[in-house]
Amino acid sequence: MAETSTAQKVDEVRARGMRAVAVETVRELVRLREQRWGNLWGYALIAPAVILYLIFEAWPIVRGVFMAFSDYRWLLRETHGLGGFNGLDNWRELFADPTFWRSLKISAQFSVMFMPIALGLSLFTATMISKVQNGKAAAVYRVVAYMPVVLPVTVAMLVWGKLYDVQFGYINVLLEKLGVANPPNWLGSPKVALYSMVPPTIWLRFGEWTLLFLIGIYNINREIYEAARVDGAGGFAQWLYITMPLLKPVFTLVLVLGTGIIGATVESMALFQGTTGGPGQAALTTGVYSYRTAFISGDMRMGYAASMSLFVGLVNMAITGGIFAIMRTERN
Amino acid sequence: MSAFMRALPRRMRPSGLLVNLSLVAICIVCLFPVAWTISSSLKIGEEIYSVTPRLIPRKPSLENYIWMLTRPDMSALPLNLWNSLKVTMGAILLQCTVATLAGFAFGRLNFRGRDLLFYLLVMLMFIPRAGGLMALYELMEYLHLRNTHIGLILLYPAAISVALFVMRQNFLAVPRELEEAAIIDGAGTMKLLWHVDIPFVRGGIAVVAIWEFIYVWGEYLIALTMLDFPELETVAIAVTKLRGWSAHFTSRVITPYGSESAAYVVAMLPMVLAFVLLQKWFVRGLSEGILKM
Repeated sequence: MAETSTAQKVDEVRARGMRAVAVETVRELVRLREQRWGNLWGYALIAPAVILYLIFEAWPIVRGVFMAFSDYRWLLRETHGLGGFNGLDNWRELFADPTFWRSLKISAQFSVMFMPIALGLSLFTATMISKVQNGKAAAVYRVVAYMPVVLPVTVAMLVWGKLYDVQFGYINVLLEKLGVANPPNWLGSPKVALYSMVPPTIWLRFGEWTLLFLIGIYNINREIYEAARVDGAGGFAQWLYITMPLLKPVFTLVLVLGTGIIGATVESMALFQGTTGGPGQAALTTGVYSYRTAFISGDMRMGYAASMSLFVGLVNMAITGGIFAIMRTERN
Repeated sequence: MSAFMRALPRRMRPSGLLVNLSLVAICIVCLFPVAWTISSSLKIGEEIYSVTPRLIPRKPSLENYIWMLTRPDMSALPLNLWNSLKVTMGAILLQCTVATLAGFAFGRLNFRGRDLLFYLLVMLMFIPRAGGLMALYELMEYLHLRNTHIGLILLYPAAISVALFVMRQNFLAVPRELEEAAIIDGAGTMKLLWHVDIPFVRGGIAVVAIWEFIYVWGEYLIALTMLDFPELETVAIAVTKLRGWSAHFTSRVITPYGSESAAYVVAMLPMVLAFVLLQKWFVRGLSEGILKM
């Protein structure tokens, strides 16, 4: 009895020892793994985000670049995949395509009209709101100025379409009252169609920039202004020499966000009901032309459309890089 | 003169007056198109074509709305609203879940390559989507996700950079001591996330949800490309197709101008309401998510 119990005890101790060794080994492995890889939960938790991102964001970018070098036509099966590869043919066609250059010019014209006005207006509004002493009034101004930003782009454009209506639109009724005999047909005449696209777009976007500028202004330390006031700087001098330089990061951000609007694709499609580009194609921006090429006309030339949007994308990237470069050199 | 000026309350001084006047003017411009649409949507019959348009309708009426929402042969607006709601809610749910999990990992856990992965995910945002729409069309077709709402629900939250950034910022702000106390009590990683961290980042989740709401509710180009059938379309698409048919319809009471305005109001109302009710989160989201990048 005693012997068996001793033997049992020995077994038990041995088993316990082995278990301890096993536990120790596993712990050591975990420690080593953590040293090398860290907490593995990390990978598990970012996996859904990374998978979604790779499939729906990263892959289309890569695939789009490949498409830009092939004669990919959706309705012709044999041009899908590697079969459609055509080297630089798309690009030769692109550089010789007058409609493309025209659309690029329209996009550029639109941006040249849109950017300065929107930038100036949002900076002005933000400066004014920051001058309002009454907290409640300032909050109301902020909310109202930002309100258009939350509206769906299409609805905003259609609402303006109603204002632009030749006969019953408020703008022309107002103009007639002011004595303008023949107010323009805002959306129907090729001469003014592109200009008509600018006010709604500004209306829709300037609130976001206003709020960005405003946050920038609110974040500037009050003491800097106090010091300037002691040194005798007036309101405008303070704005020019303190506010403006300190808002440089916001300027960078706003300009980078602004280059994304160059396409003006949805704006044109909603305002002019589809991909016609308005009367006489006066508002056919590159985005609309590319969309039409890929999804509307002929046998859906997605390859050629991808070349167009890759070209615009590269231009955008160059502009963004330029903005960053200029802003950095000016900082030093 | 200057003594008199100083005696005036601050906001009555000319500069303050100028500031307020210019801001009121800007606010009127901001509100007018929306106010005009609401006003038109309440006008029926001859009044809409009146030579001297009034902002306040003489006889406000809901006829336009009733007509717009109950004519299934012409307008599928209730169905379109339902589609928008489904897609938007699905996308918000997925985006919030995915961004919260990943934000926790990026802000709170140590693992190899963490920062590199994070900056890769965020920085790719600045690469233009060249040909992205064409490639997406092909991808969704092969995955059999075109003409499904599930496809859109998966697709929209994939643009995750900003949400990820906001959530990581929020998780970084959770006090360390709390976590340490929980770890001493033997809490594992998931328990830490659920019981200690999540209650602290509710604000961040709200911000992410609101941004996704604005984005998905108004998104046009992708939805237009992915959905071929009117019964699947979201409101943002449906409103652009009204002008075609309502011009054919003539009635002495319902006019195209008035009924279309009613549809626009219905399409933008959820956004405006959400914005007015939740506006402090918008501001927080902007200042936190974007300006600190």
